[in-house]
Amino acid sequence: MATKPKSTTKAPPRTRSTKTRPTGKRAQNKEAIRKRIVKSALNLFQTKGFDTTTTKAIARKAGIAEGTVFNYFRTKEDIALSFFEEEVDHAIAAVRDNPRLRKAPIEEKLFTLVHSQLEYLAPYERFIGAALIHALNPASHLGPFSHRAQQLRHRYLAFVTELIEESSPKQQHDALSWLVPEAFWIYYLGVLLFWLYDSSEDKEHTVAFLDRSLHVGVAFLTNGRR
Amino acid sequence: MAAENNTPTHRALRMATMGAGVAGSYLSYIVQRAFIGRAKGERKLKSTHTRVARRIRDEMQTLRGPAMKLGQTLSLQTGILPDETLAELMSLQMEAPGMHPSLMRVQVKRSLGREPEEIFAKFAPEPFAAASLGQVHEATTREHQRVAVKIQYPGIRETVENDFKWFRTVSKPAQASGHIPKEVIDEMEQQIVAETDYRLEADNINFFREKLSPLSFVEVPRVFREYSTDKVLTMSFVGGRHLEQFLKQKPNQKLRDRLGTNLVELFYFQLLKLGAFHADPHWGNYLFNDNASIGLVDFGCAKKLGPAELKYLKNVFLYSGDRHSPEFRRVLETNYRAQGKKLSTPAYRALVSFSEKFYRNVYPPERDRHELFDFADKTFLTDYIHEATRLFRTKHVMSEYLFMARAEMGLYHTLHALKARVPTSDIVRKYL
Repeated sequence: MATKPKSTTKAPPRTRSTKTRPTGKRAQNKEAIRKRIVKSALNLFQTKGFDTTTTKAIARKAGIAEGTVFNYFRTKEDIALSFFEEEVDHAIAAVRDNPRLRKAPIEEKLFTLVHSQLEYLAPYERFIGAALIHALNPASHLGPFSHRAQQLRHRYLAFVTELIEESSPKQQHDALSWLVPEAFWIYYLGVLLFWLYDSSEDKEHTVAFLDRSLHVGVAFLTNGRR
Repeated sequence: MAAENNTPTHRALRMATMGAGVAGSYLSYIVQRAFIGRAKGERKLKSTHTRVARRIRDEMQTLRGPAMKLGQTLSLQTGILPDETLAELMSLQMEAPGMHPSLMRVQVKRSLGREPEEIFAKFAPEPFAAASLGQVHEATTREHQRVAVKIQYPGIRETVENDFKWFRTVSKPAQASGHIPKEVIDEMEQQIVAETDYRLEADNINFFREKLSPLSFVEVPRVFREYSTDKVLTMSFVGGRHLEQFLKQKPNQKLRDRLGTNLVELFYFQLLKLGAFHADPHWGNYLFNDNASIGLVDFGCAKKLGPAELKYLKNVFLYSGDRHSPEFRRVLETNYRAQGKKLSTPAYRALVSFSEKFYRNVYPPERDRHELFDFADKTFLTDYIHEATRLFRTKHVMSEYLFMARAEMGLYHTLHALKARVPTSDIVRKYL
């Protein structure tokens, strides 16, 4: 969390999926296998636990040779990271590709962003809890010190900054602005923890918490002006 | 509610929320200082600090809808507020925070499994009314029926339950002293929790729709069960205007009299004929039409009376004899005994006084008096509140009566706002 994404006065370029995947039959086939590996791995992480799942088991579940897995991913942590990248892509698309949100207030956009993330993560809740703990290990590829994980976080927070900047007039930027992405990241982790420990039916509490906390947070951000 | 900022209600509300408000501004002061540091002048800090604090406090307050309802009922019970304040407090409606379209969609999808646009042919993303616990959207079904879709704010039931858990703990001393009897808390919790389940409300709507059909001037919506769950309630659209808008069009005295008469008739038909009543007749739940018909919406709080209570009400209403007589006392005692309670002297005195000063005045029992009661004069309302609080302060009141008082308060407030003249006793006599 040492480096801060630059908050430029100009609107930053639109952040979409960084990887543009090639099309074509062969490439499509490759993509399908890649997806199958991620899905099988995530199912195993969820049911058997992250630490006890081996690449061998992942390969067996995906119906491919163990060697093939390594053509796509170096480690199971890479697979997990790849899943988190998809999650962020999915959430950004949920905000960007929704024409209804174009003129929506910032609370609503951020709500949609985080809510889509949680929806994406929901089937793998057990694994997410484990991954959070795992990420505390300094050597972990999932942790804040891994280059790839850091990149993902920056992409995510750059998008948050972009949403905030496009929704508030320029003159309102003040000393608080540069802190916003960092604060939002901590907030996001807080929501994630809330969600993990939420025992209400269908995790309805998280939805209410997300909505209320964003209202309060945006009030801070805009210094009470609407 | 009055617009001035200095009404007793405002003062009371401000006092009640001061604790939260102070904590909120203090918190924001610390956080802002940490964030802004010396970069901005102290003066700016101060102004933004108050502004932010105010907003945050507003947000916090909207979360406490159920607590407000709890407070309403309790302030009546404990008599901690002056009469006037109480009247206005009782007429406030519980409101949940508004939902933006994305949150509303999430709620519909979680509840009905599909997005509103996939379910309905037409769906308005902006709500047209705030309801207790949620908001109401207009829609058209695929069968071209115009409907109102009520959507609940997430997590309300848990909020209510938590409020009560907290409240039971902090009110232990008051429970021990008898100021807030446990059964009153139980009754309130049961009712308020029930209001969070829209399936029960759907049952209430169906009940009233069937039972109120003899009253041609009342319109009760039809429930669409296929588009309803515990948190989403779809019902046919009921026309009419809310009281405030209705009054803005300056309806003439004749129309106001007819509406007032219909309201009183509706009330006593429910109370004395059905033995069940709509216990939250806040005027936001009535819709008025120019042909003096009334649309009913929001059936969250319906209360049913037992046969003994019904018999008692029929005995005391329009009681023609001397209300200080031993016979009247026996009627009151029988009712208390039926509930397994003893009529205490203060409760007896309060009931007699209530009956004499309020009911005999508004509902004159003499058969040959057919005059209209004029609800324009505020005296009757202050009498009611005064007598009701006196009764509640005796601590010997039936918990069911809390809900009847709430219903009566709603009715009398509406009649007063309408400045209606109503043949009160003639109407009640029909249902005795």
